Amino acid sequence: MLAELGHFSLVLALLMAILLAIYPMWGAQRGQVLMMQTAKPLTVGLFLFTLFAYLCLTQSFLDNDFSIAYVAHNSNSLLPWYYQITAVWGGHEGSFLLWVLIFAAWAVAVAMFSGGIPQDILARVLAIMGMVGVGFYLYILLASNPFERLLPFYPVDGRDLNPLLQDFGMIIHPPLLYMGYVGFAVVFAFAIAALVAGRLDSTWARWSRPWTLAAWVFLTLGIALGSWWAYKELGWGGWWFWDPVENASFMPWLVGTALLHSLAVTEKRKAFKSWTVLLAIAAFSLSLLGTFLVRSGVLVSVHSFASDPTRGLFILGLLVLVIGASLLLYALRAPQLRSVGRHELLSRETMLIGNNILLCSATLVVLMGTLLPLVHKELGLGSISIGAPFFDEMFVYLIVPFVLLMVMGPLSRWKNQPVAALRNQMLAGLGLSVVAVVLLNMGRDGLSYMAVLGMALSVWIAIATVQEIRQRLSASKQGLAGLTSLTPSHWGMVMGHLGFAAMIMGIAMVTSYSVERDVRMTPGDSIELQGYEFRFLGVEALQGPNYSGHVAKLDVYEDGRKVSHLEAQKRFYTVQRNIMTEAAVDPGFTRDLYVALGEQLNNGDWALRVYVKPYIRWIWGGAALMAIGGLLSMSDKRYRMAKLAKVREHKVSAAGEAA
Amino acid sequence: MIRLLWVMTLLLPLYASAFEEVYGFNNEQQRQLFKELTEELRCPKCQNQNIADSDALVAQDLKRKVYQLVLEGKDKTQVIDYMRVRYGDFVYYQPPINFATLFLWLVPVVFIIGSVGMVVWRRRNAATELDTALIAKAEKLLNNDKTQENNP
Amino acid sequence: MKRVGLFLLPLGLFLFIVVFLLQGLFSDPREIESSLLEQPVPEFRLPDVMDASIEYGPEVFEGELTLLNVWGTWCVTCAIELPFLTELRQQGVRIVGLYYEQNMDPDFGGKSLPQIRADIDRTLSQLGNPYVFNIFDESRDTSMDFGVTGAPETFLIDRQGKVRLHHVGDLNERVWQAKFLPLYQELSQ
Repeated sequence: MLAELGHFSLVLALLMAILLAIYPMWGAQRGQVLMMQTAKPLTVGLFLFTLFAYLCLTQSFLDNDFSIAYVAHNSNSLLPWYYQITAVWGGHEGSFLLWVLIFAAWAVAVAMFSGGIPQDILARVLAIMGMVGVGFYLYILLASNPFERLLPFYPVDGRDLNPLLQDFGMIIHPPLLYMGYVGFAVVFAFAIAALVAGRLDSTWARWSRPWTLAAWVFLTLGIALGSWWAYKELGWGGWWFWDPVENASFMPWLVGTALLHSLAVTEKRKAFKSWTVLLAIAAFSLSLLGTFLVRSGVLVSVHSFASDPTRGLFILGLLVLVIGASLLLYALRAPQLRSVGRHELLSRETMLIGNNILLCSATLVVLMGTLLPLVHKELGLGSISIGAPFFDEMFVYLIVPFVLLMVMGPLSRWKNQPVAALRNQMLAGLGLSVVAVVLLNMGRDGLSYMAVLGMALSVWIAIATVQEIRQRLSASKQGLAGLTSLTPSHWGMVMGHLGFAAMIMGIAMVTSYSVERDVRMTPGDSIELQGYEFRFLGVEALQGPNYSGHVAKLDVYEDGRKVSHLEAQKRFYTVQRNIMTEAAVDPGFTRDLYVALGEQLNNGDWALRVYVKPYIRWIWGGAALMAIGGLLSMSDKRYRMAKLAKVREHKVSAAGEAA
Repeated sequence: MIRLLWVMTLLLPLYASAFEEVYGFNNEQQRQLFKELTEELRCPKCQNQNIADSDALVAQDLKRKVYQLVLEGKDKTQVIDYMRVRYGDFVYYQPPINFATLFLWLVPVVFIIGSVGMVVWRRRNAATELDTALIAKAEKLLNNDKTQENNP
Repeated sequence: MKRVGLFLLPLGLFLFIVVFLLQGLFSDPREIESSLLEQPVPEFRLPDVMDASIEYGPEVFEGELTLLNVWGTWCVTCAIELPFLTELRQQGVRIVGLYYEQNMDPDFGGKSLPQIRADIDRTLSQLGNPYVFNIFDESRDTSMDFGVTGAPETFLIDRQGKVRLHHVGDLNERVWQAKFLPLYQELSQ
């Protein structure tokens, strides 16, 4: 019964989406207030019906209703209740339901928190959300219905949730990622609405920016969490694999980052308009492309869902409609946009253009690297692999100029920056960072060039960030008290850049200075690695709710002092007949100790993988700092709606002129 | 199969530092080379994993073969060529350079050069395109907006 | 109008990608072409799985059109294809087995040779024996030379000892009709 209710509720949600796509837009084009006013209630309806459908599915999981095909495939009566709740998004159909739920939630958020935005723009934005929504809801109802029944013959018990997904990191990774992906739909809707209305001005940038930040923050956290989860759960000690699916989430992130920066220019300097709007379209398009890649099975990936060409065809059709139409609209409307802000070659504008160019070429590198194996094969040239060696090399080339711009950008003024001042600041920063790197590396043997380069870049960014704050303080002439006068969005930039610096540091250190050993040990053996002595105590049997297995216990000593106790598990999930490694990690600020349990050998020894990974936390810590930076920027007063309304008043003339 | 037993003398009496490396090496260069190779060679049977991370039988076989070849003193290209002859270009995560893969490098480079060129070209043209009165008007509007000017 | 061209570029790029994505939907990304195609079989000297005194080399493929089938008793999919392969043998197709043992890991030891022989006897008597003989690749080195990634895999080798076709996964009626038969008939003339 619940399944039927849920299904019916989804049909109603589709109906809402259809109405939302038509009426408000019609009203906005005709200038009819009544029709525009339908946007809000329709959006709320869309959300509520979707939420109800989602809750129905969740309840079916908790009820162990294995007559529903999706529940039978992704749950089991022995599965703990909290995993039964998260199993709702453990497979293709349910995760898409979560996707549309989040989509509807974003739409409601736009409807609720956009009080200061003119009614016709809001109506258009929501109508465009509705149009995209129609596609999603049609897809879920026609090609990927999570409520399908297995009648009359249904199984007594379910096939269980994929053990890989039975982990805390996995509980929140997909929702965060979807929040990011779908969040770009809002930015996309704003861009398209502005193109349709022909009002692409700096107020548009100001409205779009908090939504972009929100989506970007979620995406940043989602990606970082995915990386952390893979590190912990897959037992290889790696944190990024350049897998097509990871790349699919990385591309919108790169474009989203470019968009954040170019929105800043469009907002403050009324420049880069056509470029910014293209980025807004691209960020969402790449999110959709990512969805397609994950769900269609065109690429070989560790993460992909079981594939089905009809579904792939459906999503591809959706892609062509949404992206194709918006890019066509862009090609027709963008040439009429004029940027009015003038600037000299050496100015903050130029640095931000440079930033955008590099971020976009990084996106192209990832896009080409992800899709070329497919193209290569379809051209009849055979199968090739593009992985870490290629991407790592390209990103090293890109990161050096990128960091250079990152140092120069904040230190430069808008419009025009005197050469000498900038040069002096940069030389000072470079000098300091070289000194710092020398100090940091004293006494380390086996220096790696890459690590030294990464550290220098990282430290340089940090120094430039401090220099910029100092410069601002001396301009305000208030001494340290001037710190309080810096806006939250300024602190957001500072945090974002520092986070990036921390991440580069982490990546450089882990990549160059990790040590690992594959060893066989008998209880009583010990191994010394980087000054840590791992003592193998033995292996015990393990019994979980839906798995059994072994747990290896180790004590770790440093200079004869016990610093950690590790328990690395190997689980056998009985229903899916799957073996999972649950690595033991002792996290630390400057190093992680990591042990994964392998198989038992014939003579009773155990195979173990032991790693010492320096600074790996800095990668995720850096991502967290960046996300905090994003939140700070969002909290800036100038994005609050009351203020927006006021800003709008004296901007009307400017808007008219720009269009 | 040659096995190397690593026995180190240790000061701590309780735990003998006796362990056997699954793949033991004579020197650090070989260990590094082995690590690099197993991370850059792709398991031909798996979804998308290198042979270092995969537990598939064929990945283990490839790992053992890489180990043998490294111990024999083969260098990186020799080992990769050995694998390529048997499993094709698919087995190595660095794509070969040919007409199609050239675009991997070409597209980003052309994009950077093209867009830098565009920026310079448009800067030179833009000044003549707009009449000065409009610029003056725009500047005035911008100055009104100066309160937030220095924020990113 | 020159400017419009530039703004159409993203749309063009997107449509270009779509063409390949569409093609990609209808092909399996995990199907990888063997690099042995049109190449002579690699050099090897291996014993018969049942009788270590008999040795085989590439000459066993000369003069006769042969299917080389990589299999093991531990392999579930192999058990599925055995009856069909036996049927093929009855139709006169020459099938040689390359026995690919999972448990004979040189590191770990494992099943003993008599155990393996007993397993093979039992399996083949139950499911049918399609093989003229079985080459025993104990270390799996020859399998690696053939570019084998697991079992079952099947190679079609022509009278000159060249590999003409390679198939990963089970060989069933459908695969035989679609993939093997046309070339097999052409080569057997």
